[in-house]
Amino acid sequence: MDPLILSLWLIRFAFLALLYLFLFSVVRILLRDLRVAAREPSTQLGRLVVVASPSEEPPVGSVFALDAVTTIGRDVNNSVVVEDQFVSSEHCVLTFRGRAWYVEDLGSTNGTFVNSSPVDGTAPLGFGDELQVGNARMRLERAHR
Amino acid sequence: MTDAGVRSSISRLRTAGLRSGRRPVGQNVGRLGVTLALAFVVLAAGAGYWQVWRAQELSTAPDDPAVVAAARHVVRGQIKDRTGTVLAASRRDANGEPYRVYTDPSMSPVIGYASRFFGTAGLEHTYDAQLTGVLSPDPVQQLLAKFQGNRADPQDLTLTISLRLQRAAQRMLGGDKGAVVMLDPSTGEVLAMVSGPTYDASAVANPATAQKAFARLQADKDKPLLNRAVQGLYVPGSTFKIVTSMAALSSGAITTSTTYPQQPRAEETGLLVSGFRVRDGHHPFTDDRALNYPEAVEVSCNIYFALTGLRTGGARLADWAGRVGFGHQIPFDLPTAVSQVTNGGGKFGGGFKDAVEVANAAYGQAEVLATPIQMALVASTVANEGVEIKPQLVKSFSSDRDGTRTVGPQQMADVLTPDVAGEIKSAMERAVEGDFGKLFTPGAAVPGIPTAGKTGTAQLAAGEPHSWFIGFAPVDHPRVAIAVIVENAGHGASRAAPMAGDLMQLYFETFGK
Amino acid sequence: MTNAAAPARPALPPIVFGGIRPRARWREMWLLLIVALTLYVGSISLGATEAAAAGKSLTLSPAEDQPLAIYLGALLLAHLAQVVAGRRTDQVLLPATAMLGGISLLLMERLPQSLVSQSFGGLDLGLGQVQLLWLLLAIGLITILSIVVRSDSWLRLYKYTWAAAGIGLLVLTFIRGEDVNGARLILVIGPFSGQPIELLKVIMVVFLAGYLSEFRPLLVEQDTRVGPLRLPPLPYLAPMLVMIALALGIVVIQRDLGAALLFFVVFLMLLYVATARAAYVVLGLLLFVAGSYLMYRLFGVVQDRVDIWWDPFKDPSGNGYQIIQALHAFARGGILGTGLGAGLPLVGGQPPIPAVHTDFPFAALGEELGLVGVLAILGLYLVVIERGLRIAAAAADDFRALLAAGLALVVGVQAFIIAAGNLKLIPLTGITLPVISYGGSSILANAVVVGLLLALSDKGVEPPPPPRAGRRFARLRDAVGGRA
Repeated sequence: MDPLILSLWLIRFAFLALLYLFLFSVVRILLRDLRVAAREPSTQLGRLVVVASPSEEPPVGSVFALDAVTTIGRDVNNSVVVEDQFVSSEHCVLTFRGRAWYVEDLGSTNGTFVNSSPVDGTAPLGFGDELQVGNARMRLERAHR
Repeated sequence: MTDAGVRSSISRLRTAGLRSGRRPVGQNVGRLGVTLALAFVVLAAGAGYWQVWRAQELSTAPDDPAVVAAARHVVRGQIKDRTGTVLAASRRDANGEPYRVYTDPSMSPVIGYASRFFGTAGLEHTYDAQLTGVLSPDPVQQLLAKFQGNRADPQDLTLTISLRLQRAAQRMLGGDKGAVVMLDPSTGEVLAMVSGPTYDASAVANPATAQKAFARLQADKDKPLLNRAVQGLYVPGSTFKIVTSMAALSSGAITTSTTYPQQPRAEETGLLVSGFRVRDGHHPFTDDRALNYPEAVEVSCNIYFALTGLRTGGARLADWAGRVGFGHQIPFDLPTAVSQVTNGGGKFGGGFKDAVEVANAAYGQAEVLATPIQMALVASTVANEGVEIKPQLVKSFSSDRDGTRTVGPQQMADVLTPDVAGEIKSAMERAVEGDFGKLFTPGAAVPGIPTAGKTGTAQLAAGEPHSWFIGFAPVDHPRVAIAVIVENAGHGASRAAPMAGDLMQLYFETFGK
Repeated sequence: MTNAAAPARPALPPIVFGGIRPRARWREMWLLLIVALTLYVGSISLGATEAAAAGKSLTLSPAEDQPLAIYLGALLLAHLAQVVAGRRTDQVLLPATAMLGGISLLLMERLPQSLVSQSFGGLDLGLGQVQLLWLLLAIGLITILSIVVRSDSWLRLYKYTWAAAGIGLLVLTFIRGEDVNGARLILVIGPFSGQPIELLKVIMVVFLAGYLSEFRPLLVEQDTRVGPLRLPPLPYLAPMLVMIALALGIVVIQRDLGAALLFFVVFLMLLYVATARAAYVVLGLLLFVAGSYLMYRLFGVVQDRVDIWWDPFKDPSGNGYQIIQALHAFARGGILGTGLGAGLPLVGGQPPIPAVHTDFPFAALGEELGLVGVLAILGLYLVVIERGLRIAAAAADDFRALLAAGLALVVGVQAFIIAAGNLKLIPLTGITLPVISYGGSSILANAVVVGLLLALSDKGVEPPPPPRAGRRFARLRDAVGGRA
């Protein structure tokens, strides 16, 4: 066997092997990402960003990390407290069921709105949707991975 | 909130969930990812199909650019006969590009040609990749070839052909159209394969004369470019009675002592099959005695075999013919035409149309068509105790780098039990050596060596019949089997049988008794 | 509960200069290092093979591969630019694209340079050099887009404007375009020429993302009942019909089957992502089958392509020639390949496949890198797809999710269509292999795709790092305390 040819083939295989080294490195990164994502599933279901809040409580731009059940209302026992005269004490509840978010109006006086349309009982809520309680508007966003 | 209110809100929730509407996009994206991944798996499988499964076939096909490029510049390996006499070699033209020179025209139908303009034919086509050195016959060497400097490693081919026998057969055929196949029954090695008329392959290969020579060959109405030994389909006539014997004796339809009382009379009046008369001349030496199996073979009694065919039935006849190679492409170094017992499609067993067709097919007429190599294999199978060996033309491949790699014999089929083979053998011996046989088959017997065989006279719709002979010798431990056909040369006895006898005699002179 | 409601206060990296916060990108750096090493070794392999073929003694010394050096330099600059910009964008996408581009560069350097010749200011450039130029522009484009694009509103708000621009481009191509192999593909405006279809595919994705994200609720939740069938709301079927019309138009007007197939498949897939309704997909497929059959009957081009695909060996020296040569190339490659530069035997000074640099680079790579290399290249495309879909899944809202998914699909589906065409799995259509094929329009369009994906992948402000060390320390302390 010709030694020069042999070394030529070693170089060729080295090229192919390096291609696979690259893929291997990428796959390792992907798997690590997946593991990080899987590690904190329950604490990171989504977040609520305050878009408009005339009463300044909560202030515009504040971010609420959401649990599987998040209640919204004027009462201090709610997860998210909104100091607004048009908000009922127990206004509505956000729930995460299966893989989706739902909002349920708890019989509030002035109603709950998703993207400006009133919620009749329960309505599904998508990421990017805007939730309005009283004068406050909040956007549901995906939690950071 | 009332209980009813909660229930209704839950049920609405559920429907909304089932409708999966506002499900986050993420899950759909996941499914999409899986779909795409599967699509790419299909791509990988497609690549695997072409790069592994079909790789060998495509990359060594004669029209692959790599093979073509190699063929243009590489000096092809030599082709030699079994004793080492060079049959095909290469020379260089004025530009230094190689071209082929062939020593003997009798080899042309087998070796074919390698032409710069007209591609390749014959063994030059089949083993293009080996002769140009793109492909090694040894799989390990093939793998290692990647790591060796000069990838092209032209292989020399040593054929199983004996040039002496080949030349003699060609000479005996003379200007007649026809074919001769001689082979070793126990190894399948083809000792001679002649197709007449032949042609000068050197003229096709030589770039200076190629255009003219090829045009003339293509226009020739005798079709010299057709290798009749493997591509010619002929009515086999009485030689096919051996195939009928295989079916009848193996299936137990008859024994060697079976006789038909109506047979002697039918020789004079004709045999009535479903309102159609099968006619045969009367055999003058047998009086009015009903013949048994060996006697019927000895005198080649058509009536006996028509009756045997009917008793065996179309299905079993076609079945055993299939076992010995009819209806299939015979695996061989050259492309072979498919022999047939019937056109098929008929409602009678085995694809036959009716009983009349079976009766006629049983003695090799009707729609029976066979290639010479097929009939040589019939003789060879009987000779080799019923075991059919794959015929082969190449004895070994050799090159400087790989050394020599010999091609061993390969069993193709186990057709007959040794007992049945023995019964057919002794009947065929009587057909050559018997008291009556000698009269029907003059000149087939090799002096001093017990010979077996069967003549055939293939009746055609128009013109003189084809003259056939198949046989082998010596009877006890056969070393050579033969099939000879000469087109429109009359009775089997008149032309084919003496030719076969002379050729077998030459075999024993050449290779010892 | 009230703790969870506390607004998150992310820790920010230090500001170095005028509002810019550099951020190290270790993963990207490591992957780019592997890319550089791989391409360097590939270049040595190519050089050694070519030296051996030329009859010179075999040298394994580093090749003087100037184009590759320039390419790797540009990658380094792109990486540094990303670091300085300090956005939290994806770190895998750039290296994966760079690997594909590098493989393209090696291949184009290795093919006969005379396949393409262009002169820029008295400088005559061959295939490899022109491709290098496009790749450099592509890297620049990716870098600029990924750093500058912060808001998606310019895409989101003007979707109809984009759609109109796209259709205008199509019409312009029809009026002013030039034909290539019977397909109207190239648009020439002044000194510039290009294949508008490449840009059109990006515009299409932008429009579809805007449209589908806006009407998603309606498409999902409303029905039109026609007898027992539950069909999607009819008014919202309009874009579907427009898309089919567009695909038909591309076939009829441009005779460009590959682009039509790409558009329609991407559309159907995005529709599924948006609605998760199989009914749409089934309906779309039925329309596709009916449309294909109709076109097969009506258009000679379609019929030819399908017939060639069905049995190329019927006309091995005519219509079936290219695809048969491609299959032979794959076969010659086998499992390990012939090695870079050792494949593609020249017949009369020409490669056996005339359009090897545009339509058949996959076959060429299949021969030279073998099945092993083919699988690696497919893997690289899957990485790009995975990143795109991951970005989509993590996007903050529907528009961004659909946009990211669509961009990833455009690359993935296009790669599939041409690779499957090369492998005779589907009829061959003349579209490019993303990032690998020669051609400015194709490379720049894919650069736009990658650049936008990078911009979309920005995770915004960083959440506080998980208190991993602290937890470990706490565990340790507890353990010690437990024993004590």
